[in-house]
Amino acid sequence: MTKENPEVWVFVEEINSQIKPVSLELLGIGKKLATDLETKLGAILIGYRIKNLASELFSYGAEKVYLVEHPVLSYYRHEPFRDTLAYLAFKYKPDILLVPATPLGRDLAGGVATCLETGLTADVTELAIDKEKRLLLVTRPAYSGNLMATIICPEHRPQITTVRPRVFSIPEKRKQAKGELIEEKIDLKEENLRTQRIGFIPKERVVNLEYAEVIVAGGKGVGGKEGFSLLQELAKLLNGEVGASRLAVSAGWISHEHQVGQTGKTVRPKVYLAFGISGKIQHRVGMQNSDLIIAVNKDPSAEIFQIADLGIVGDWKKVCVALIEKIKRERKP
Amino acid sequence: MRNRLNYEVVIIGGGPSGLSAAIKLAERGVKTLVIERGRFCGSKNVFGGVIYTSSIKNLVSDFPQVEPFPCERPITEEGFFLISEKGLSKITFLKKEDTPQSFSALRAKFDSWLSRVALEKGVDFALKTKVIDLIKNFRGEIKGVVVERPESWESSNPAQISAKLVIIAEGVNRVLTQKAGLLKRDWSSEEVVLSVKEVIQIPKNKLEARLGIGESEGLAVELVGDITLGLPGTGFLYTNQSSLSFGIGVFLKSLVENKIKPYELLEKAKAHPYFRELFQEGEILEYSAHLIPEWGLEGFPNLYGKGVLAVGDAVGLVNPIFREGANLAIYSGIYAAETAYEALKRDDFSEKTLSMYEEKIKSSYFYKDFLLLKDLKKTLFTSNQWFNFYPQFFNFLLESYVSSRGREKREVLREILQELKRKRGKLGILRDIIKILKLFW
Amino acid sequence: MLNLLVSIKQVPDTTNIRINPETGTLIREGVPAIINPYDIYALSLANFLKLRYGGKITVITMGPPQAVSALREAAEFSADKLILLCDQKFAGADTLATSYTLATTIKYLEQIDKPFDLYLFGKQAIDGDTAQVGPGVATRLGVPIITYVIRLEKLDPKKREIIVHKKVEEGIEVIKAKLPVLITCEKEVVSVPFSPVTEIIRANKVNPEIFSFKEPISFDSDKVGLKGSPTRVHRVFTPELRTRGKILNLEEEGLEKVINLIVEILKEKGIL
Ligand SMILES: Cc1cc2nc3c(=O)[nH]c(=O)nc-3n(C[C@H](O)[C@H](O)[C@H](O)COP(=O)(O)OP(=O)(O)OC[C@H]3O[C@@H](n4cnc5c(N)ncnc54)[C@H](O)[C@@H]3O)c2cc1C
Ligand SMILES: Cc1cc2nc3c(=O)[nH]c(=O)nc-3n(C[C@H](O)[C@H](O)[C@H](O)COP(=O)(O)OP(=O)(O)OC[C@H]3O[C@@H](n4cnc5c(N)ncnc54)[C@H](O)[C@@H]3O)c2cc1C
Ligand SMILES: Nc1ncnc2c1ncn2[C@@H]1O[C@H](COP(=O)(O)O)[C@@H](O)[C@H]1O
Repeated sequence: MTKENPEVWVFVEEINSQIKPVSLELLGIGKKLATDLETKLGAILIGYRIKNLASELFSYGAEKVYLVEHPVLSYYRHEPFRDTLAYLAFKYKPDILLVPATPLGRDLAGGVATCLETGLTADVTELAIDKEKRLLLVTRPAYSGNLMATIICPEHRPQITTVRPRVFSIPEKRKQAKGELIEEKIDLKEENLRTQRIGFIPKERVVNLEYAEVIVAGGKGVGGKEGFSLLQELAKLLNGEVGASRLAVSAGWISHEHQVGQTGKTVRPKVYLAFGISGKIQHRVGMQNSDLIIAVNKDPSAEIFQIADLGIVGDWKKVCVALIEKIKRERKP
Repeated sequence: MRNRLNYEVVIIGGGPSGLSAAIKLAERGVKTLVIERGRFCGSKNVFGGVIYTSSIKNLVSDFPQVEPFPCERPITEEGFFLISEKGLSKITFLKKEDTPQSFSALRAKFDSWLSRVALEKGVDFALKTKVIDLIKNFRGEIKGVVVERPESWESSNPAQISAKLVIIAEGVNRVLTQKAGLLKRDWSSEEVVLSVKEVIQIPKNKLEARLGIGESEGLAVELVGDITLGLPGTGFLYTNQSSLSFGIGVFLKSLVENKIKPYELLEKAKAHPYFRELFQEGEILEYSAHLIPEWGLEGFPNLYGKGVLAVGDAVGLVNPIFREGANLAIYSGIYAAETAYEALKRDDFSEKTLSMYEEKIKSSYFYKDFLLLKDLKKTLFTSNQWFNFYPQFFNFLLESYVSSRGREKREVLREILQELKRKRGKLGILRDIIKILKLFW
Repeated sequence: MLNLLVSIKQVPDTTNIRINPETGTLIREGVPAIINPYDIYALSLANFLKLRYGGKITVITMGPPQAVSALREAAEFSADKLILLCDQKFAGADTLATSYTLATTIKYLEQIDKPFDLYLFGKQAIDGDTAQVGPGVATRLGVPIITYVIRLEKLDPKKREIIVHKKVEEGIEVIKAKLPVLITCEKEVVSVPFSPVTEIIRANKVNPEIFSFKEPISFDSDKVGLKGSPTRVHRVFTPELRTRGKILNLEEEGLEKVINLIVEILKEKGIL
């Protein structure tokens, strides 16, 4: 038997036995990388009573699923998850490990990379393979997005990166896909753990910006909370969510969960409506993959117009109010 | 705990005037505190700016041989750009000096350097701290200051800092000068110039190529003519290491009267063909607006009171025509320190002792300049021809000269004279000449 | 009495960061350096705890000589001991090398004095936005870590126990942990104190201790700086813009036409 090439791995983030979409996105890009490297795609499933998720992972392209189940792993905690993932990586020596750049994934990846004494590139927006050198080329914004940097990790393995939700798309689901399930046992004891979850306060409403089809976003130009209620109204009519620039968030007009951009969320709706947003690079990196961008700004030289499919030079409020009225009128039979 | 906030001298404001006083006091072993509301000295300041070696040598005798160097470039070319709508004429003098007499500087860097000099000499600093009031005793003597911050973690009241003497170096917005009772009257809008300024980043080699200067050469020019939207005032252009300081100053009054927004002035000026090209690919690092006190002698406050001295811009020590300000601030700070030291020695902070400061100021060269300035300002700023007509006419003159080839020269000359006569009138010209002569005689 | 460690980073105030398009390097002129905003909250929390329970605050940072000013500013939060890790050899460190250097220093400090009860870090540094150094240091120290902390509910120095609120995507986790623990702070965790003027004056003149590569700790030269960093910058380039579409002027085109156009697009995309 010839020796197989080291694998490409994806850490699967799951919540209440639901695989998060970002994990599927990573399987999609992971598969591409694995193909380029002529190797297999492995999915890492760590938790408790989640074995049933393996088949779904196969159907999204995983050829192997590494499963570790233990009561201690029933909710995410840094230490046991880190040690488990590091143990697996140490044992099976994958070439690449992709982790979602979610709060959980970012918490986890830093620890794992340190355990394995290897390189970690955070928050990437592009992944490619240098086939000749068998190297992962990771591109991410640097200097607050003013520059893009391609980063490599030539001498250490695995090459770990965290990837933002919505940077890559979810691959098509294959029916009746099969793969190899590898179950690993690991010795963990609750008594040895020094942190414990003793309560949980669920969010009243989860803002689902990343997966919204329409985003009505506002910036500093919207002028205040009242402006954002208008945007909210429009978003509701369109069945979308409200997004915001950082300046609008730091002015306190809307909460941080709505922020789009480098330090907010990456989104790719079908339509992104930008009202009173200048379109600084840090904002653009979060929304430039939208299918279609409509921007309203009174300043004809606003940077947002450089990426807008439809740019309107004028007062945002006029447009927003008129649009709300028009839609309402059309809806009324 | 009580005596922790006890100083011999407290200085309000960490600009050139306050820092100079602090350095001179610390050199004599006086326990001194500088209170500055900015995050660091220079952080809140706008500055053209050119500074003069001679004044700084009084503080740091090795200057300009200091590390790290706090300035941008030595000024090797100085003069005027006379600006008309289409073009401009340059009248500049190229200086060849062993030790440059002046340097361009950015305040954030220069002031923080000066503050480090003071720190090393033992001056205490309260940064990010605003003075909100003065402590006066029943005899009306100033005995310290009140700052916004509390004294300790346990308290939430504004702290009181006691001092034998307070030096007010707060700059042009004279809140505390007024609280000290030194102000005779407040300035009016025709006495202060609003200066708007941008620092524009230009790739280093391009900056040099465009202005025709070498790597260690710098330019400082005043801009007159068609650049202030017709208002009386001037602009300036100074070279920093890899950026240009570009600004325009006009009297607050004319801005308000003509309903012009400060920023429009700069925008318009930057649209001039010469400057448009000069600033190509430029990136604005900083935009700021600041008042320059030009009230002159008539607007001076009392320079001293019981237990208090005022220095620098708070007094109005700016000579706009000769671009002196920071250096006068420095001299006044030094005089104030000398006076304070004498008062401490005598342990007497009465007006009688402190009047020594006024004497020092009055016998300075710049005080005499202020006497001259009084009329100069009246002449220059009451009429518009100096800032508009003459610079533009000069351009017309040169343009006619350079485009006169192939024509009879007498005819060209006639045209020039006609233009002059039409725009200014024979009598007008004569009057202008007499005015200027009268000034300096 | 609590023994508190805060790790801070000096960053360019990136709200007005600029890049030289020709060289691809950061333009530092006119860009003020500040303490990483999230680290301010770590300092504030340390200050709050010290005032409440008494104790000692040690602040460390790795950076160029100018980072002394960040430490001086940090001293305003009643910090007692300030340490700057500064050496040419530390330069160019990625998160792995940074966490090694910081963790080694922390271990040394614990050896010469006493162990820390809490290690306070910022959620992330705004220049790189990686949020990896905290988890890295915790791993090397072998202490538990709680990231994204938005509230300190309880601290019991006797039982050596702490209860905090941690932000996660779906809500807030309430977590109990045994001391010592490493925490990375969000902005909500505590309000920034208004330091008294005495503290401000003291802070401006303190001189941080400077640790070099050789003194007083001997680091492993294969693990610090560029040499100790597995990642390499391969290429730097300016981001491409997508091609520009149609730009209309509202006044010229008229509101109605513009609105109709938008509605048309929304219909085309199946949204209306
Ligand atoms: C490290 C770092 C991370 C960052 N992360 C993010 C991030 O994640 N997301 C983000 O958004 N920003 C981020 N920023 C900030 C970013 O650089 C910009 O400052 C910010 O995006 C600007 O917000 P804005 O467009 O709302 O405000 P401004 O730039 O002030 O623009 C307001 C716009 O509104 C227009 N306007 C005003 N009035 C009207 C009107 N009546 N009608 C129409 N138009 C009007 C103006 O012409 C202007 O173009 C980050 C910055 C840094 C340094
Ligand atoms: C655009 C421009 C260009 C100039 N160009 C030149 C030039 O080329 N050459 C030249 O010699 N001069 C120039 N000047 C003039 C020169 O800048 C001033 O004359 C000089 O800075 C005055 O120094 P100062 O210390 O009196 O006041 P400032 O420099 O104004 O300092 C006052 C300080 O006090 C602080 N402060 C004020 N109130 C309080 C308070 N209540 N509590 C605590 N702190 C307080 C302020 O933050 C400030 O730092 C220029 C001025 C301007 C505006
Ligand atoms: N060079 C450094 N020196 C000290 N602390 C640092 C340094 N870099 C990062 N940190 C700490 O680690 C946190 C996360 O940084 P980062 O992983 O770079 O986003 C920061 O908020 C700091 O608390």
